[in-house]
Amino acid sequence: MSILSKILTLFRGTANEAGQAVVDKNAIRILDQELRDSTTELARSKEELTKVMAQRQLAANRGTALLSKRKEYEGYVQGALAKGDEALAREVAVKLSDVERDLQAEAGNVQQMDSSIGSLKTAIRSTETQLARLKQQINTVKATEAVQRAQSAVAARHSGANSKIGTALDSLERIKQRQEEQGARFDAAQQLEHETGDGDLQARLAGAGLVNDPSNVDGILERLRAPQQAVLVDDSQSAEKQKLLAAESLFGERK
Amino acid sequence: MSHWTQQQLLQCLADTFGAANVAALEDAERAYQVVLPDSGDLEVTLVAGEDQIYCSTPLVTADQVSDRAGFNDACMRLNPINPLSNLGLSTVDGQDVYVVFGELSGDSTQAQIIHEIRMLAVNAIDAIETLKPFLVNA
Repeated sequence: MSILSKILTLFRGTANEAGQAVVDKNAIRILDQELRDSTTELARSKEELTKVMAQRQLAANRGTALLSKRKEYEGYVQGALAKGDEALAREVAVKLSDVERDLQAEAGNVQQMDSSIGSLKTAIRSTETQLARLKQQINTVKATEAVQRAQSAVAARHSGANSKIGTALDSLERIKQRQEEQGARFDAAQQLEHETGDGDLQARLAGAGLVNDPSNVDGILERLRAPQQAVLVDDSQSAEKQKLLAAESLFGERK
Repeated sequence: MSHWTQQQLLQCLADTFGAANVAALEDAERAYQVVLPDSGDLEVTLVAGEDQIYCSTPLVTADQVSDRAGFNDACMRLNPINPLSNLGLSTVDGQDVYVVFGELSGDSTQAQIIHEIRMLAVNAIDAIETLKPFLVNA
């Protein structure tokens, strides 16, 4: 079972029972155990590698020695044959055959140890990778646990024993509420501006016929086209004209 | 190891979000809380781990979800298109809580940390708005 599936099983098993603290403690315990196992395995593999490399060196040394012994014996055999001493040549040849057998065996040993060295190196590399990954997983689990502890502390701080976790949903509701409040405030401000501002007063005064309607262009033209005195006298009953008369008297136009 | 000391990280957060909105949590080691007034007082938790900085904010508690299967499915679909943040399920005080979280390298710059926090808040609000049909009283 992979480490992650062990932890996931643990999460599923305890999520509804004992609570998070147990899960986290166990998750970290599992990871720590895996870490220890891998560290031990790594140390053992490295020790084994050193041993095998030393053995290989010894075997290689023996091989070199056997090679030179072989060369030496070949010389003896050739010497004995040259002297016509067939019996001596045969005696040495028997020894030479032993040397050659040992040489082959030693070569086989070295080859076997070379392949052991190769697989040990591969195993060490993969254990080292696994160790780095484990350490990272432990850090992540520990940090996740710290985040959960922190969030739990914040929840407790907000509402004492009856802890309630503040979520994005709460924030979304607050945002919407604030937007509504802001909208309502804006409407109220506009309403207030409308009621108290100049615009509304002018509109109401014009409606009551108390102020001059600036859009009454026809009235102005009519007034100016007709003989001034007559118009002023004739139309004096119109509220607008009366007001103009009042304004003229106020500003001293009329004597 | 993160190159940020506790004091530096607090200062960095306070400079951006205002000292009143930033606090170191005494209850958890190297954990900080940031309140974002612009995001409806959303609270983001930061933890400076050994070689990473973790940011997380609770999305919604599982008991507020009416359709867990639909919600989970929607979360998995949202996840790949969520810039910088991930959606996940966590347990706080024995309660299942959906979280939005992100991880930063321990030697991230101030700008990267601030960006991550802001994105986390935006993503969390976006996500919960999107996922509202799966919630209780939706």
